[in-house]
Amino acid sequence: MTFRKDSLWGWVFCLPLVLGLSIWVAFPLGVAVVMSLFKWNMISPAQFIGLGNYVFMFFADHLFWQSLSVMALYTVLSVPLQLVLAFGLALLLNTKVRGMGVFRTIFYLPSLIPTVVSTALWLWLFNPQYGFFNLILDAVGLPAVDWLTSPDMVISSLVLMSLWSVGNIVIIFLAGLQGIPKELEEATEVDGGNLWHRLRHVIFPFMSPVIFYNLVMGVIAGLQIFTQPYIMTNGGPANSSLTYVLHLYKQAFQFSKMGYANALALVLLIVTVILSLIVFKSSDKWVYYDGDKK
Amino acid sequence: MRPNRKTLPRLLTYLALLLGTVAFLGPFLWQIRSSFMALADIFGYPPVWWPKDPQWQNYVDVFNIIPFATYYLNTVLIVLWNIAGSLISNICIAFALARIPFRGRKTLFALSIGTLMLPAAVTMIPTYIEWSWLGGLNSFLPLTVPSFFGNAFFIFLLVQFFRAIPREYDEAAFVDGAGYPQILLKLIVPMAQPAIAVVVIFTFLNTWNDFMGPLLYLNDSKLFTLALGLKSLLSSYNSYWHLLMAGATLVALPLIVVFFFAQKSFIEGLTAGGIKG
Amino acid sequence: MKKGFAVAAALILQVCLAVAGLSAENTKLTFMFWGSPAEDQAIRKALKDFEAANPGITVTPLYAVYSGAEYDAKMKAMSESDTLPDVGYFGGSFYDYASNDFFLDMTPYVEKEGLKKDYLPQTWLTYKDKIYGAYTAAESQVVYYNKKTLQDAGVALPPTDYKKAWTWDQYVAAWTKLTIDKGGKHPGEAGFDPKKIVRFGVFHETWDQMLFPVVWSNGGDIFSEDGKQILIDSPETIQAIQRLADLKNKNMVMSAPGLTEYNSTSKADPKVLLQNGQIGFYVSGQWELLDFAGMKFPLGIGALPIQKKPAQLYVSGINVIFKKTKNPDAAWKLQKWMMTPDKTLDLYARGLWMPTKSSWYTDKADLAKWTDNAAHPAGFKEAVLDSMTISRVAPARIKNYSQIWSEFVNPELDLIWLGKQSAEVGLKKAADKVRKSGLLQGLW
Repeated sequence: MTFRKDSLWGWVFCLPLVLGLSIWVAFPLGVAVVMSLFKWNMISPAQFIGLGNYVFMFFADHLFWQSLSVMALYTVLSVPLQLVLAFGLALLLNTKVRGMGVFRTIFYLPSLIPTVVSTALWLWLFNPQYGFFNLILDAVGLPAVDWLTSPDMVISSLVLMSLWSVGNIVIIFLAGLQGIPKELEEATEVDGGNLWHRLRHVIFPFMSPVIFYNLVMGVIAGLQIFTQPYIMTNGGPANSSLTYVLHLYKQAFQFSKMGYANALALVLLIVTVILSLIVFKSSDKWVYYDGDKK
Repeated sequence: MRPNRKTLPRLLTYLALLLGTVAFLGPFLWQIRSSFMALADIFGYPPVWWPKDPQWQNYVDVFNIIPFATYYLNTVLIVLWNIAGSLISNICIAFALARIPFRGRKTLFALSIGTLMLPAAVTMIPTYIEWSWLGGLNSFLPLTVPSFFGNAFFIFLLVQFFRAIPREYDEAAFVDGAGYPQILLKLIVPMAQPAIAVVVIFTFLNTWNDFMGPLLYLNDSKLFTLALGLKSLLSSYNSYWHLLMAGATLVALPLIVVFFFAQKSFIEGLTAGGIKG
Repeated sequence: MKKGFAVAAALILQVCLAVAGLSAENTKLTFMFWGSPAEDQAIRKALKDFEAANPGITVTPLYAVYSGAEYDAKMKAMSESDTLPDVGYFGGSFYDYASNDFFLDMTPYVEKEGLKKDYLPQTWLTYKDKIYGAYTAAESQVVYYNKKTLQDAGVALPPTDYKKAWTWDQYVAAWTKLTIDKGGKHPGEAGFDPKKIVRFGVFHETWDQMLFPVVWSNGGDIFSEDGKQILIDSPETIQAIQRLADLKNKNMVMSAPGLTEYNSTSKADPKVLLQNGQIGFYVSGQWELLDFAGMKFPLGIGALPIQKKPAQLYVSGINVIFKKTKNPDAAWKLQKWMMTPDKTLDLYARGLWMPTKSSWYTDKADLAKWTDNAAHPAGFKEAVLDSMTISRVAPARIKNYSQIWSEFVNPELDLIWLGKQSAEVGLKKAADKVRKSGLLQGLW
């Protein structure tokens, strides 16, 4: 009796999720798969071309490979830097300093500013003539940097900008740090352990699930970066900041290649899943969960 | 002895905090400074740190040059709907996944987590087409309705939190003759305040700043949100930097206030139960 | 008693008339457009005036906060969902849509009202001999400068007669004299530091349309007349593009050009820089007059530089009526209104548009209506207006134009502007790629 009632209640409460998965995930995914087999520009009737889009993607679209490498470069640079910086900041914000609430708000501030605005701000900071960064460099006698106007610098500039918005990651690390049992921390202090010791033997192991979570989410977010290059450089100069999703967006909305855009989206899905699985598999080696006795 | 050993680390901590504050607050201060300047002066060289003649006028002009007040109202409306939808759906779903033993629970949870890996780009166009069939284009529907169907991140968070609450409470309630709805409303929800605070704050944040959604779905400028409104100040022909900065400050202000006061429960909510599981 | 009766009858009559008026058509139209907030206000005023003159018709303005490719994208999305406006601006893929039957054929209306002869011939856009669109206005390229900056620097003011303009080299000389670094040195002088330039001689817009007059002036071209060949690697075109690139890299009179795919948000507003004296000259479109009018500084206008011959650009957005409109007659009325300078005088008088109605260039009275004001400084007539007689329409009928330009030409131009490759190398590369791409398919 209880069993059947449980089942009923369970499904009733989960109805929104089931419907959601069907309407907003399964169905669009299906549509995307089907559309990727067509050539469609939204104003003429669609033409079935089978795997034509995929053939074009892998063998003829040089921008596909370009955008893949841009996306890879950005992810490889930004994710580790973001994690390290966020972790350090979390440690910093976990200390007992008066007015910590104010500091936490300050460090979180960039995440509270709408992306449109923060990109406009950074466009301004990066401006070759009048931007703040080059003015500072000039004041100390260093040469100006072509932040967004040099194909070699532009991705690094975007990575730098992303570091400003690590607030979200910091908060999660901070929450994790506060979850470390006090006894363990105090034990190592009494033992005469310094910060490095505490990090290695207490903090890292305890935080490893949180690091893992942030790593996976960071990689997924890095692969999808779109708004910043879209507003700031539109992929330029010479496609050196053309991230994968930006390329997809342009194909869909600038050139009306809807079928092709869907094919690109599905390939991105596969790449994301593969990378996530790799991180998951590796987690066996370095992530400790509560209850794992050492 | 104690003070000596602790002084150097303490000093370093303050130094780091100071540097961090400059780095993180700097651009924001630049924004505020520019919001009080006339357009012609913002690009002036050498740069001025604080205008001699603060242009409070900019804050008024923002409301005149674009229907800023309307955008504010629209955004607030969408945020409220999303918070409602988020709370209702995610709490129910997480409760079931965490507390009700039923077949298929594990699969559902796994599927939900799986969607975190789904790039938004994949569903963007088909979802747009779906909405065009449903007649929801150029309305708030596509921006509010999905929140009533659960969100993987929040479900994950709440499940972790709920799992941490001891079962004994449930058992006792069952003995008293309570059913699942009562347990949820009278027992779990009051105890899960911090986690619920996180859901509310993140929903607020994401909706307030959402740009892509309104860009895709809203045509009529009467329906625009703040994010779109700000973008309109940066058109291809004109960049009203001074107004943009003023507008941006007005947009960020509520968020800063909310975050400052809510951060304690915010962090608590993320902590308890942990993201560890 | 009789009086009471009369009053009552009058009242009843009034009520009847009012009800009749209400039940008469209350037609709703939507008009979609882009532009700066100033243009938004001007357009809204024009629409409101239309409503006042046409009781029974209401127009809802749909102001797009984006333009160009994004506007196109929005159009496509709207067409997919059947939410297209009745009348509005249209951007790049006009012929794509025309060939797929998206626009209302305006020929019957135009012929019935005998409008063809009143307007500049290039105004009407046809596909298969049917009129599907009309150019919103006439827009062109202009050389702006700050009189005070030039006077202070001891630089002669450029001539305004478009037939007697300075040569490219004469302009470069002026720009060089205007460019100064922190130490007051000009390019070419010993001790000049290109990294510490305080004032640049010029800022020349380099998005596609802005390049055409420069190329044409040197006798070069972009596409052949039949649209089947790309000519960007002809020696004349290469020379023209190289001259532009040299402005930054060799002459050092210009800051980094607006790189092709950038939104202009990435640079400080050149109009403001002109006002501040941080640049001496600004080459852009004549629509900038709208904003200049609100900026108080002595604006000057010069004739475009002549390389081998004078050249001028005719460019404009396109106004269309969408086929799916439920009120074609009312939509046509609106369209005609927006094309009639008398009714929308504000947009012309304030400098945003130039009229498409021929008489407004030649008839003294009409001319004065829109040019005799502060927004149109001295020199406007000889440098810009008169040059419209030699203006060429920007290539719009070329099939796949935007894809060709965006995918193949722009990336090479980026590198040319950055000085990483010469115009010769870059343009030849781009041209070869275009030829191989199979996108050159002639005209619509």
